[in-house]
Amino acid sequence: MMRAVRIGPVCAPLRPRPLAASLGLSLCLAALGLAALAWGGYPLSAGETWQAATGRGDAVAAMIVLEHRLPRILTAIGAGAALGLAGAMVQTMLRNPLAAPDIIGFVAGANAGALLAALTTGGMIVGGALAGGALTACAVVALAWRGGLDAHRLILVGVGANLTLGATADLLLSFADERTAADMARWLTGTLHARSPEDAALAWAGLALLSPAALWLGFPLGRMALSDDLAAGLGLRLARLRLAVAALAVALVALAVSVAGPLPFVAFVSGPIARRLTRCAGPALAAAALTGATVTLGADLAARMVPTFRLPAGVFAAMAGAPVLVWLLWIEARRRRL
Amino acid sequence: MRVDSAGRAPVRADRLLDDVSRDHARQARRARAGRSRRMALLASCAALVLLSALALRLGLRPVGWADLAQALIAYEPTDPEQIVIRELRLPRLVGALLAGAGLGIAGALMQGMTRNPLADPGLLGINAGAAAGVIGGTFLFGMGAPSQQIWLALGGGALGAAAVFALGGGAQASPARLLLAGAALSAFFLAMVRGLLLMSRQSLETYRFWVLGGFDNVTAHTLGALWPFFAAGALAALAAAALIDALALGEDAARGLGVRVGGARLLAGLAIVLLASSTVAMAGPIAFVGLIVPHMARAAMRNDMLWLVPCAGVFGAGLMTLAELAGRSPLFGGAMQAGVMSALIGGPALIWLARAKEGRMS
Repeated sequence: MMRAVRIGPVCAPLRPRPLAASLGLSLCLAALGLAALAWGGYPLSAGETWQAATGRGDAVAAMIVLEHRLPRILTAIGAGAALGLAGAMVQTMLRNPLAAPDIIGFVAGANAGALLAALTTGGMIVGGALAGGALTACAVVALAWRGGLDAHRLILVGVGANLTLGATADLLLSFADERTAADMARWLTGTLHARSPEDAALAWAGLALLSPAALWLGFPLGRMALSDDLAAGLGLRLARLRLAVAALAVALVALAVSVAGPLPFVAFVSGPIARRLTRCAGPALAAAALTGATVTLGADLAARMVPTFRLPAGVFAAMAGAPVLVWLLWIEARRRRL
Repeated sequence: MRVDSAGRAPVRADRLLDDVSRDHARQARRARAGRSRRMALLASCAALVLLSALALRLGLRPVGWADLAQALIAYEPTDPEQIVIRELRLPRLVGALLAGAGLGIAGALMQGMTRNPLADPGLLGINAGAAAGVIGGTFLFGMGAPSQQIWLALGGGALGAAAVFALGGGAQASPARLLLAGAALSAFFLAMVRGLLLMSRQSLETYRFWVLGGFDNVTAHTLGALWPFFAAGALAALAAAALIDALALGEDAARGLGVRVGGARLLAGLAIVLLASSTVAMAGPIAFVGLIVPHMARAAMRNDMLWLVPCAGVFGAGLMTLAELAGRSPLFGGAMQAGVMSALIGGPALIWLARAKEGRMS
């Protein structure tokens, strides 16, 4: 179902289903955000939260809401949206629903880099992670390049690099002493605990910079999902486009990793959920970003619900995303059979 | 006219001759391909035997070839060298061979069945189910002994695969949906396991021990309990391999060839579950081998499942033994996990393969 909307000289197609899905996801995200703002170890009523947020409440409530909860929520949304965008782009580019951006080697490289930095310098985890991830991504793309960027070869080289670097990280972790190992294990699961307003600002500034490029790449991406010959016949320059998509995905994942650590599963799950909600053939980038943000925020909220342990949000990312995806798949299978 | 027809006739004869010679060439090429495959398989079998002998001989306690031969042919239970070989190294070697072969075959079937180069037997929910079984058994019923863990892991793995099949839409569903369901459910179970571990110290102790896996705790008793599962899985895999070749053409084409798509998938799934869950039960979750080995085997054998499955078995057994041997070497402190080692060896090999093949694989 599609309808054309014409405003003066501008004409755009209007598809009700993706629009409804995006609206629903936004509402869900807003509800989760409000819940996360009010709920916590220091319980506040809805009215108190509103007063604190607008600067009319007492000082303690204002500090908790504005300096602790709000940055954390905003960081979760920003990081989740970046991961969702990157995941949907890479999955569409490689035509493989299992190909999360990890396939380009960024996450494995970031983990190894962070571990190496923590072991050699004792700090600089984020810097090490970004350097390691970027280096690995460049190496993987360079190794897979042979007069063009064949999707199949990129997948294979990425898998190889991931395995090697994952094993290297395990090896490095076994060299570390117990305290460092425990700290690193927490960082490697991805956590949103104690985010500052600067983190939130970084996440949103990066997102504002990168998402227009991502949405613009969404147009050729829909056609890149066709076969290579067909896409080339439509006039797409596949090698250049793939390079652009890979670079953008790496930048988005780097952004998320620098503020939240390597949150697992969000990038993988967002694309398939968004595609099933919107029921359109394209990459559904906006819906994927919203899904990623919702899943991340939900995971962080769930992590905060468990008292005393301070579990990292990464543990809950799969618990928040997986049942939804399985449920959607099950519905799809049943509908096809009837 | 006559001249014309006489002039044409030799051309036709030429064309016929040309066709005949082309047929000959094709047959010769096919025969050569078959011969080279047979040679590759034979050579890798020979290399595997050599590697096994090395794995039996090398180790912390120096052992000579004479001891080795005697321990295998005429075992004397009083000689310490022979005890080391027979009681420690032999079960470990057999365990590594069985696990590697099982994972290699299961991976080849999984990638053939789903037509996805990223598919891994663990994606059917087997590893996650086994982990959940072990943790659940420890957490709820306090069953932590290794002999109980085998059955907990076996049952959990089978249950996990059954859940993935049921929720992914059964054997008729498209492979992509099955993989997505498997990946989502696996992640869900593993996240739950991780959450439980962070909360219960006793489970953590059991789990840490189990997840490291490896072949140090494999005894003749374990092997005796598990080998029927491996044998049944290998037989089912060979039977499924014949059917999966047709599936690679696409479901409609396979149906047109008279293959029952659902039945073929079910048989392949059964083989994968048998092989992978008995491997998990024996040695813990060893990732990667099932993912890497089929690609290596495909480089040697192309896309012919009947050849690919045995070849993946031999390659997997070789990689696992090599990884186990390297992990025991003093270079890595003498006790590196075989799974980690196999990733360190297999990852670069996969990159090299992907680059060497010039995109022929797609």
